[in-house]
Amino acid sequence: MNAHPAESDRRLETEMIKLRYWQHIMNEDLKKKLFNIPIHVAFGNEAIAIAVCDMMEQEDQLVLTHRNMAYNLVRAGALKPVYDEYKLSPDGIAAGKLGSMNLANPARGIAYASSILGNNFSLGCGLALSKRVKRDAGIVIVTTGDGAIEEGGFYEALVFAKSQHLKLMIVVENNNHSMSSTIAQRRCDISVRKLCESVDVAYKLLSGNDVFEYAPALRELRRTTDADSIPVCVEAELSLMNQHAGPTPGWPTDPMNVDLRNGLVIRNAAEDPLHVLRETLGERVFEEMAAQVASEKWN
Amino acid sequence: MANYISSINELIAKEISQLPNAVFYGENINTGSHISGLTRNFKIQESSVLINVGNCEYTHCGVGFGMMLNGATAVLFVKQLDFVLLGIDHFVSTYQNIRCHREPDSLGSFTIVVVAYDHGFQGPHSSFNALGDICSMARVPGYTLTNSRDSEHILHTQLRQPGFRFIALSQRLSPKELLQPELVHVSRDSAVFQYTEGSEVTIACFNFTLPEGMLLRQKLQDRGLSASVFSVNSVFPHDWSRIKQSVARTGRLVVLDDSKSINLLGFSLLHEAAEAAPASKRIIVTREADIDFGVSPDAFHVDYDALVFRLVSQPSRVPSVV
Repeated sequence: MNAHPAESDRRLETEMIKLRYWQHIMNEDLKKKLFNIPIHVAFGNEAIAIAVCDMMEQEDQLVLTHRNMAYNLVRAGALKPVYDEYKLSPDGIAAGKLGSMNLANPARGIAYASSILGNNFSLGCGLALSKRVKRDAGIVIVTTGDGAIEEGGFYEALVFAKSQHLKLMIVVENNNHSMSSTIAQRRCDISVRKLCESVDVAYKLLSGNDVFEYAPALRELRRTTDADSIPVCVEAELSLMNQHAGPTPGWPTDPMNVDLRNGLVIRNAAEDPLHVLRETLGERVFEEMAAQVASEKWN
Repeated sequence: MANYISSINELIAKEISQLPNAVFYGENINTGSHISGLTRNFKIQESSVLINVGNCEYTHCGVGFGMMLNGATAVLFVKQLDFVLLGIDHFVSTYQNIRCHREPDSLGSFTIVVVAYDHGFQGPHSSFNALGDICSMARVPGYTLTNSRDSEHILHTQLRQPGFRFIALSQRLSPKELLQPELVHVSRDSAVFQYTEGSEVTIACFNFTLPEGMLLRQKLQDRGLSASVFSVNSVFPHDWSRIKQSVARTGRLVVLDDSKSINLLGFSLLHEAAEAAPASKRIIVTREADIDFGVSPDAFHVDYDALVFRLVSQPSRVPSVV
């Protein structure tokens, strides 16, 4: 674990608490069936999402998957524009044209989001190649999951990015979840590390859901890909603490229950990034910050 | 006289030599036969790059859309139309997503230049010859290069134009002399090229059938009938008004379409012509429904004598299909 954050610098922890709170708001309104579109909440993705966004420089571009809520909320810096987009309102980030699974926000660095597994790898390569040709600054970050790396496009992108010296960072969010099946339920093990080694792409494993550990590690990796013009691959182990899509619980007898009235933390274990944060900050500071976030008007 | 492939190669080389800040890429683009001569003698501007890439067509298609999203100009050269089937996800889904961009004027250009293997000798694989099908499912334009006039026009206008499109060549025509017909008219959307103006018959050539259409026109002329000959590209929405006006004048329409598809764009023209000129005689010539899936010459057969016989007889109110 990294050094305890100084009280004067509460940016990362504030973002963590806001992001969790905003996702709770979404989940509560999903329970009320206030949205017409499929929405993929990302309880459990907070540490990696905030560390990625914290790492990004002005010219960097982010390429996302269908489970992009955490990144969109952090990059927007507010709940309302994302919420409005989910309501397909003209006031939304994309004027209600993109909905949730394809929600991009180019003004805040989110170039593209795809609901098709593996579709975004090659597009990210194209963004990075155009930067190389036009001598534009910045790197491209592509997020994906343990399901999408089963697509051939993942391997193709590693080969293409390595061959073309692209400033590309692939972030594999390994939540052991694809629709409703675990890795063991659907396939053999895939060693992302060995796959990367086979094409000489640098690999880094992140686990523990500690944003104070993730953030500096990613900043260092970003420096590497930017300075050396090489692709890098990050695998972040995390747990998805909500149903695949829609509200959680998703049905009356759903054993998975998330309720804002129970507080921000969903699981008292290291798999919950907010639990890790609370352990780091101490309960009193954590709850004071949570109360402050909850008191702020978001809509 | 230069043949089809070397003539079009010269036109492509000329166009790309004038394109700045562009990425030209493809498999074997600068090695060996240079994709059977398609990409030979490319000289590019200093700000552009030419990249020989590995064998991952799905990724190549996505890469093009990524570059387009960042405002770049990308041209992907592909040896066979079959290969781009691996990119259908990108044509249909990725491009649909990109088209929702809030600042469409910031988008760049992505063109896939590809050869339709329509000569039949590749084997059971690699016999895909239905550019219109891909264009239809993705709702994107596709242009076939059939002669010097449409090749010059399409390459000059499309390679630098924002947006996405296919430009397809014919393997069957490759060794033949490139036609150099007089050009009568080009529609504003480049969907329709007209090469002759006649008053008795309208001939609409889809895909790569312009040579057959020009031969039919000659045979009709020998019988004293003049014909308007059009070549039609897969452009949606298309402007076929000039063809329909011609049918209204001539009362006879022959549609030629050598695409290997059961959803021929030519059927749409028949339908529109029937509405515009209900009393016209309308004939469509397609490939046989029972296509030989094995190695075969894969020729597009037109029974010119039978066609001419039917056309010189009195116009019928009943459309017929050969």
